[in-house]
Amino acid sequence: MSRSRRFKPEADDGHLDLVPLIDCVFLILLFFMLVGRISYDQRNEQITVPPTKTALKMIENKDWTRVVINVFGSTAAGKIPRNSIAWNADKPWVSSGRDEQAFVGYQKLRDKLDLVYDSSRKFDDPNGTKVPGGGILQLPYVIVEVRADADTEYRVVQEIQMLLVDSVNPRPDQSGASMQPKVPQKPFVNLEFTTRKPGEK
Amino acid sequence: MSSDSDHAIEKGRIDLVPMIDCIMLLLLFFMLTTKFTSEEKSISSILPTNKGNSPPAKPTQVVEPPQTIQVVITPAGLPMMHTEREYQIWYDHNVAVGQGIIPTAELRMGGNPTTITLENRTLSQRDNPNLEGEVENIHAFIHAALKRYEIPGKPRKEQSEIVVSCFSALSWRYALIAYDAARSYEAKQGGLIDAMDPNSLTNARAVSFAPPRVRNESVKEMGAELFELHRLK
Repeated sequence: MSRSRRFKPEADDGHLDLVPLIDCVFLILLFFMLVGRISYDQRNEQITVPPTKTALKMIENKDWTRVVINVFGSTAAGKIPRNSIAWNADKPWVSSGRDEQAFVGYQKLRDKLDLVYDSSRKFDDPNGTKVPGGGILQLPYVIVEVRADADTEYRVVQEIQMLLVDSVNPRPDQSGASMQPKVPQKPFVNLEFTTRKPGEK
Repeated sequence: MSSDSDHAIEKGRIDLVPMIDCIMLLLLFFMLTTKFTSEEKSISSILPTNKGNSPPAKPTQVVEPPQTIQVVITPAGLPMMHTEREYQIWYDHNVAVGQGIIPTAELRMGGNPTTITLENRTLSQRDNPNLEGEVENIHAFIHAALKRYEIPGKPRKEQSEIVVSCFSALSWRYALIAYDAARSYEAKQGGLIDAMDPNSLTNARAVSFAPPRVRNESVKEMGAELFELHRLK
């Protein structure tokens, strides 16, 4: 008797019983709010970072700016080509090849780093490194996150590290020499490699 | 002129339609903007500023080479050969053919001929139940070797620097796993609580990545790079 009264009365006067619907919708809403995470544009989903054991949760610090350098590693058709670089959520560009294109890519990255360096607050290098003009090398309050796919070629990540510390010219000169070390002018030394715990999917 | 909602309120019922509208919009928002991948983590590092273009030493000055422990990672199955040319031929036949990802690598420590094999396939599968064990094996191998190189009585900071020297065409994962293992060893030995905290690492010895021998994808230089890596002690 009570059962039939519970489900029927609204329908009797032409109204649908919305309570079960609201219950379900609330449960789904709660599920998404608790389980999901809002996607972050800087993190392209085509990148699978390598597993490491000492990895820890990233800590955001208000005093520091964070920039993300995404490096792709997939060789599958239709995906962003392996070794391509993307600055934050920008469109990726190719950084590898057997021609000048790779060096153009590295130069582009260094140009972006220069812009960030110029606009950032800075502090004296704790190592007391002297600069040629006098004074101490200035380091920016910037954390550079290198978010490289596990299948990215090692040399690309290393090239990025050398570009960050500004110890090498992004492009070789006319003589074709492949390494031209230089005195750092605008280095970024605070680096984070994005990774994940081995057991986590 | 009275609407349905007015009618419902008059009858003692609350109009639920605006609330359902709001909830549906919220639901739609969460459904479209959420993802269920695992949260990424990071390993922090501080790059050196004093290793750039140092002035050349005076001729009379005796410069002692820095003592380093090399973690060498090369493609698996690479035989010992005599010339760069031979390594180049081996590379052209065994690696460069597909221009894809090199499937297997070998890791050795310093001049020790014992190696551990690193399988790209095993280490790349996210749902591989053995992944944790595989990473643990690599850590154990590196930790055991580092223990042999330990100089008793020397402070952590004065222990030999660890350098990860990886073949430039190999995947980044190998170099990072080796780097991770070296850091976790240092964290254990130095009693550091947090291997990621740069402040705690100031008391630890340096662990770094060797610069690449080849800056660009210059296939001709691969043989020379392999030749050098094979002879690293």
